[in-house]
Amino acid sequence: MAKNQCKRGVTLYSYQEEYYTGAMTLEDCVAEVASMGAEGVEVIAEEMVPNYPDPPESWVKQWHGLMAKYHTKPACLDTFVDLSQGGHRNMTLPEAVETLATQFKLAKRMGFPAVRPSLGRDQLDPIAIVEKALPEAERTNVKIALELHAPTSLTSKGKGSRMQYIDRYMELLSKTKATHFGFTPDMGIFARRLPRVMLNYYLRHGAHEKTVQYIDTAFQNGANTDEIAAEVAKMNPNGQDQRCAAVASGYGWRGNDPKELQQIMPYIYNIHGKFYEMTEELTEYSIPYEEVVPVLMAGGYDGYINSEYEGQRWTQDATETDSCEEIRRHHVMLKRILGV
Amino acid sequence: MSGDHNILEKGFKNVPANGRATGFQLAVKTGYYRGVYANLIEGFEVTVDGTTFQRNQIRLTIGGHTYALDKLADLKHVRWQWLEPAILTVHTPGGLTPGLHDVRVTELLRISYMPVQPSVYSFRRRLTLVK
Repeated sequence: MAKNQCKRGVTLYSYQEEYYTGAMTLEDCVAEVASMGAEGVEVIAEEMVPNYPDPPESWVKQWHGLMAKYHTKPACLDTFVDLSQGGHRNMTLPEAVETLATQFKLAKRMGFPAVRPSLGRDQLDPIAIVEKALPEAERTNVKIALELHAPTSLTSKGKGSRMQYIDRYMELLSKTKATHFGFTPDMGIFARRLPRVMLNYYLRHGAHEKTVQYIDTAFQNGANTDEIAAEVAKMNPNGQDQRCAAVASGYGWRGNDPKELQQIMPYIYNIHGKFYEMTEELTEYSIPYEEVVPVLMAGGYDGYINSEYEGQRWTQDATETDSCEEIRRHHVMLKRILGV
Repeated sequence: MSGDHNILEKGFKNVPANGRATGFQLAVKTGYYRGVYANLIEGFEVTVDGTTFQRNQIRLTIGGHTYALDKLADLKHVRWQWLEPAILTVHTPGGLTPGLHDVRVTELLRISYMPVQPSVYSFRRRLTLVK
């Protein structure tokens, strides 16, 4: 068996609650990553970079100082191209490409080898944006690592009005032989069941148990989530039932097979280690890490798996959030699977 | 971010500081996980002790500049940085009486990748206005 080359990291978005309240500083976050023996640091530019998109040089020096002090490495910079401009008008293609160019420049200053840009919701064709931005990505040597985020189907089999597919990206790669365009698969696309913390949130807020059970089971059966919402509409739903059904369409596709990552392996530049709930048995309640990570290992993936904790939105109304604890559990699991 | 951290105690006061109040101010931090360009801000709704103020009674101060909510759409390159307290100035002759008030603020953003528009963040806090 080939030696594992996958590296561990954290996207600091995972510590947003503590960062927000001031309980943790940027240095505290980086120190916490290093304390787990992890190396990769991913950052949302508009969250933690002061005076975005142009931080003072003194701050950039401090940033590099932190990386050196804790032996961590900038893994990926998460950015956004707000194509709908607040609903008032859409960005033009040149404006979108210009925005990306600004983000490549910032990535370069901070030492990030890649950006993960969020490209709105079809206000402009993402293929057109990426194609136009490729020359600048190559010139600055910053890779565009587009996120494959739930709900995504890695084949044509998954159905639903929100479902995203990868076939057009594969066509672009085949056509351009691009060296600076690839993917950030988000582990959430392999969820086999809906997060328990999400379902419990809606139950806590008044959703009907039978309705939630139906949504839970239907998702596990790979149902088209539009059909789930349509069925729920017939079950005399209250607002919480409807919201739960709507939110369910943002997960999976439950039918994705981890082996389907093999077709895109050379183009995986980053991985979001999405998780919603780490159990005390140190597994993720919804996502089969023990199936997905070995596919990456066997495929020779040598980038980062960056933990991305996203359960807090479903629990913070009921319990205190302890992001560090959640991410530590995630890393014990990763170490176990990676054999390190 | 949990809702009780978003309305700040600091900055809750009548304005102007001296003389007859023409309104009151309060400071809020965003409920969204990143800072945004100001033209993504759809607006804010403010309700105090059950009284909801009109959109045109509210002005927003970010980055040291003050804007009517309807003017935000025209702004380019103006950012509401993450964690920056935005000041809401609500025009209401006499301001608020000193004492405890039930303050509710709703933040509305239009974020390109979200399937449901706008994004709505609701905050509520009971806080005391001294003057």
